Amino acid sequence: MNPLLRRLRHDLFATPADGLITVALLAVIGAGGASFLRWAFSQARWAVIQANSTLFAVGRYPMDQQWRLWLLTALLAAATGITWGMLRSHPRPDRGGTLWPRNDRIAVGLLVVLSLLLPWMLGLSLSIQLRWLSITAVLVLLRWLAGRFGPQLPAPFKRLLPLGLPLLYLIGMVLIGGGLGLVSVSPSEWGGLLLTLLQSSFAILLCFPLGVLLALGRRSELPLLRWGSVLYIEFIRGAPLITLLFLGQNMLGFLLPGGLAPERVWRAAWVLTLFAAAYLAEAVRSGLAAVPRGQLEAARSLGMSMPQAFTSVVLPQALRVALPSMVGQFISLLQDTTLLSLIGLMELLGTARTVMANPAFLGRNAEVYFTLAVLFWCCCAALGLGSRALERRLDPAAIARSG
Amino acid sequence: MSQPSPSTLSSSAASPSDVMIEARGVEKWYPNGYHALRGCDLTVNRGEVVVIMGPSGSGKSTFIRTFNALEDFQKGSITVDGITLSDDLRHIDAIRREVGMVFQQFNLFPHLTVLDNLCLAPVLVRRRSKAEVRQQALALLQRVGIAEQADKYPGQLSGGQQQRVAIARALCMEPRILLFDEPTSSLDPEMVREVLEVMQNLAADDITMVVVTHEVKFARQVAHRVVLMAEGEVVEVAEPEAFFTNPAQERSRRFLDQIL
Ligand SMILES: Nc1ncnc2c1ncn2[C@@H]1O[C@H](COP(=O)(O)OP(=O)(O)OP(=O)(O)O)[C@@H](O)[C@H]1O
Ligand SMILES: [Mg+2]
Repeated sequence: MNPLLRRLRHDLFATPADGLITVALLAVIGAGGASFLRWAFSQARWAVIQANSTLFAVGRYPMDQQWRLWLLTALLAAATGITWGMLRSHPRPDRGGTLWPRNDRIAVGLLVVLSLLLPWMLGLSLSIQLRWLSITAVLVLLRWLAGRFGPQLPAPFKRLLPLGLPLLYLIGMVLIGGGLGLVSVSPSEWGGLLLTLLQSSFAILLCFPLGVLLALGRRSELPLLRWGSVLYIEFIRGAPLITLLFLGQNMLGFLLPGGLAPERVWRAAWVLTLFAAAYLAEAVRSGLAAVPRGQLEAARSLGMSMPQAFTSVVLPQALRVALPSMVGQFISLLQDTTLLSLIGLMELLGTARTVMANPAFLGRNAEVYFTLAVLFWCCCAALGLGSRALERRLDPAAIARSG
Repeated sequence: MSQPSPSTLSSSAASPSDVMIEARGVEKWYPNGYHALRGCDLTVNRGEVVVIMGPSGSGKSTFIRTFNALEDFQKGSITVDGITLSDDLRHIDAIRREVGMVFQQFNLFPHLTVLDNLCLAPVLVRRRSKAEVRQQALALLQRVGIAEQADKYPGQLSGGQQQRVAIARALCMEPRILLFDEPTSSLDPEMVREVLEVMQNLAADDITMVVVTHEVKFARQVAHRVVLMAEGEVVEVAEPEAFFTNPAQERSRRFLDQIL
């Protein structure tokens, strides 16, 4: 018998009871899948997505300035390609040292197919379809170049390369918001996926250092610092995010005189950051607790100062342990940005609500919510994949097993 | 002919500048109120190997951990290589640079390779160049017999190998004093010897060593003096032969009866 068949039979039909369960489950899955497909292909009217794809992507960002966002997307694709390639360029022992491991080939294949299919399905013009295809080409090309020639780069250059990522973030901010000779685009005109990603990336990047400081503060020997951190963490964790968001919108205006209070979008971004920092602090704290006391003692007995011991011995180990729960926090942070629609921001959910309120698209809620769910799922899956890759790289035991 | 050999130098009566560790009436209470050290005195001379023995809970670890300020103490005084231990943080950092420590549980940094374990502190603390420290680290690994493991992670080594890395890591800071807290107690018997051999070779150099251990053979062959601690006090300080064959104190005799 065919080995695949034998395996299926062993896994699914080993005993009559197993067989029964398998058949029942298959029936349920089949029925569910069939009715979903029926809905997706015959009942759903996807025109609502096609007609509003730009709105979902960038909100009311001015048409004549959208080239800036295209440029940013291309830069992001380039950075992704280079990072990906550089990560693979080391002769990785756990990957057999190949430049194109199987998973990477699958990923590239998927990317190409998606960049061909999605713009077409969205009914975008041919020139925009081509634009997406070239962005994918840039990514794949740089992935190949960095993987192939990355190792030959001079060492100082290689060491400076990671600095490109924060630099890119700043460039992105300028491209989006304006300045340095670019026309300014007010945050109230940012929207859709752009705003969702901006809010969550801003909060993720800033809540990380804040959370680490809070976690260290909570373990500090200075009572004021310790109690301050505990109070902050417990207060934030005890209040629902939505109340904090409303509080931020109303109170920052009172607390800071006139011009000093940040713009609504930034206010929300700061509230999200401060909120996430409290949760992140708890994740980091559990990581710190997992590092044995002897590590700090060994570092101190070698003459390292407390900051040195923490940054090069304790924190790397603590963060490695805390990584999965930190990424969990990041994922819920990403999803929590939907609450911003309740304070009137036009992020993905806010945009969706305006679209559904449009009489032209009456009753098309299912299509819109389904699209939103898929979009969020993709972002979260990307975060999850990235974190698992990072986890593997940071785990000496994993390197040890394969080495 | 009149030149004294190094060995006669180290065993002759020490002049004040030859005193590396001087502990006087050290008393320590743990935060829970437990009186762990009850007035301990000890003088360790340059190049000397002192072995501390004593029953479990007698305060051996606590005592040697006060020498590099891993534990604080409430009464008495400790002077290490001319620097008096006080709350002054600069003194503590200065002392820790001169005093290396090897722990029972190795305490290697699991996220760094063996080589990086050795190089981290000299580069960070002594601000030496990475390339130069690397050379020295490789030489030290050679010396403790594990040069070929330099690029592995601690988790990939046996206990005995890990402890030898820990010794090399301490040596890489070029300390004048090495403290060992039961370095072989968590090793399988067949690995104890390889670690003791490394320590014996070290003792032949002029590094000062204070070793908490239950290895009688090591104490007899390598130690210049043996210290017996019990219930937070230093009960007896004697030359090894005298200590093991004819201890002066009744408490020492009882302890030896139990371990020999
Ligand atoms: N952090 C602490 N808080 C309170 N008491 C402690 C603490 N650490 C140690 N002790 C107590 O101090 C006493 C001396 O401990 P120490 O670890 O110095 O003993 P030791 O001689 O090294 O014993 P062993 O041979 O078991 O290592 C013990 O009774 C121990 O219970
Ligand atoms: Mg002990």
